[in-house]
Amino acid sequence: MSNVHERLRRLLFLVPYVSKHPGVTVEALARALNVSREDLLEELDLLTCVGRPPFNPDDYIDIYVDNDRVYVDLDQRLFAPPRLTAGEAAALAAAAELLRPAAGDALQGALQKLEKVLPPQVRERYREMYRKIDASTEAPQALGPLTRAILERREVTFGYASPGRAPEPRTVRPYELLSHRGQWYLQGFCHTRQDARLFRLDRMEDLVVTDTPFLPPPDARADVPNPARSRTDVSVRVRFSPVAAPYVKERFGQDARPLSDGGVEVLVAGDSERWLTQWVLSFGGEAEVVEPVSARAAVARAARASIGL
Amino acid sequence: MDRTERILDLVALLLDAREPISWAELREHFPADYGGSDDAAERKFERDKAELVELGFPLTYVQGDDERRDGYIVDRDAYYLPEADLTKEELAVLYAAGSAALASGAFPGRDDLAHALRKIGFFAGESLPTPRVRMELGSVQAGQEKEVSARLEQLWDACAGRKWVELTYASPKHPGTTQRRVDPYGLALRRGVWTLVGHCHLRGGLRTFHVHRVRELKVNTARPRTPDFQVPEDFSLDNHVAYFPWQHRFHAPVEVTLRLSGALSSRAGGLFPGATLEPVEEGVTRARLPVSFLDGLARFCLTLGPDCLVEGPQSAQARLREMGARVVNRHADAQEDKVSA
Repeated sequence: MSNVHERLRRLLFLVPYVSKHPGVTVEALARALNVSREDLLEELDLLTCVGRPPFNPDDYIDIYVDNDRVYVDLDQRLFAPPRLTAGEAAALAAAAELLRPAAGDALQGALQKLEKVLPPQVRERYREMYRKIDASTEAPQALGPLTRAILERREVTFGYASPGRAPEPRTVRPYELLSHRGQWYLQGFCHTRQDARLFRLDRMEDLVVTDTPFLPPPDARADVPNPARSRTDVSVRVRFSPVAAPYVKERFGQDARPLSDGGVEVLVAGDSERWLTQWVLSFGGEAEVVEPVSARAAVARAARASIGL
Repeated sequence: MDRTERILDLVALLLDAREPISWAELREHFPADYGGSDDAAERKFERDKAELVELGFPLTYVQGDDERRDGYIVDRDAYYLPEADLTKEELAVLYAAGSAALASGAFPGRDDLAHALRKIGFFAGESLPTPRVRMELGSVQAGQEKEVSARLEQLWDACAGRKWVELTYASPKHPGTTQRRVDPYGLALRRGVWTLVGHCHLRGGLRTFHVHRVRELKVNTARPRTPDFQVPEDFSLDNHVAYFPWQHRFHAPVEVTLRLSGALSSRAGGLFPGATLEPVEEGVTRARLPVSFLDGLARFCLTLGPDCLVEGPQSAQARLREMGARVVNRHADAQEDKVSA
């Protein structure tokens, strides 16, 4: 989209926003519009030149900054933003798919209400555009209650099956939900382990949102550990056949060392045997652990077990 | 006058007008802008009008009659965003999903989405929920997100305007790159990977392209407001992009039966969404699922370990065993014997 278009959309929102929030600080307004302070001040300058013919003093938008706060005295009928365009509604509806079907009724209800406020001529185009993005992620059922628990700051309990172990009960303060490569995780403080933990939603069962309130820390942000890209004391050398090489190069870039047979070799973290064996097995025979010997043996053991030997 | 300023002036004029405004009046109001030759002025106004329509400005031209004159008029009720009366929970869900999509750094229609979120939050006042939901794409290398994000934005515009694109594509299956002209039908996100589905002129059929493998992209700029192609009525993105490792968009499916025990038994539904599940005995579940890509299923089953057994058909059992044997043999010096599939 052109700069003019983006700017117009911003300005047609800016005037009503200030009209609704008189005295909003320059900083808060810049944040709401996702522009820099300097750019915002420039926009405000431009708006003071906007008006309608015959351009008498009262025909101009009267918007000004006083003591670092923004006010509008004459909005020239720009007291509410324009309705959603077909593109805006379609992008929002497509994003909402990320939480389907977990969010269930609330999502369905929200989308129906949104569609109702679209002008009739826009509605058809919205339906056409909505079909052009498909971001449905097979969201797990736990996503809905967990979103609510995070929002309402209530602790949750659930049974959690760590790999190779029977499910055990956990009590957790839920901080954040994170989708990584299509897999959903909950980041929170685990009372059972007395530590911050990352839980995979597909390993939870019997989730209950309790009435126990809690205060989240200001910055509770977690990263999903990626053993393939991290370095530990013990590194494992893995070799890939020419068939798998292009895919590995795509993920590892320069870190994938080319081999004479057309394959590639990479170094990955060796601190989780379980992760390593699963990862190597997921290449179905196109990957081979070169060293250390213990890791080679672990992969061979896991492969034999998988085919019942 | 600056174009942004002129269009905003037009908005202010038309929102305030009680009577239709004729083209002659508009020319009088904006002599410096719509002056000059008739043709040039009209073309300029046409462009401004198109921009207004893009912004969602409900502008129409009415033919005059005894009661009113000819001219442009705007339906004010259709312009202003009304309150959608979203409940707190509905707003929270939309906000959470929208913010997760924006935070991912790569979502088609990012600008549209950001504006939409602002608009639905307009009436919420201070009670806007703080979303704590994030989405990360793990498929692209660090530093590549920006490029993917920019491509998605271009593709979103091209899909919306139905304009063909020319792309340079690097497929891992072939060395080098290919140049293709594609009619973009839509974009799908699966497991962190964005896929473009469209009609490929080079191959003469529907093809899918991973957006992170597009090296260069150009959208047809000729006649931007005229679509270049029609999307077939029965087209559905879902039919062309695989969800799970055991799906392939072109192959016919066969039904495979799995026996899941131990910790996998209670997770069967999550591991194999869409499968028909049947309890066999305490702690054992049988799952039946349509499989159109046996190699993908075999690889996935290998990673699940001995608690996942393939009961049938024989072809699936054989494929898993063959693949497992290959892994064992590649690591043979760590174990005593080689295994034959």
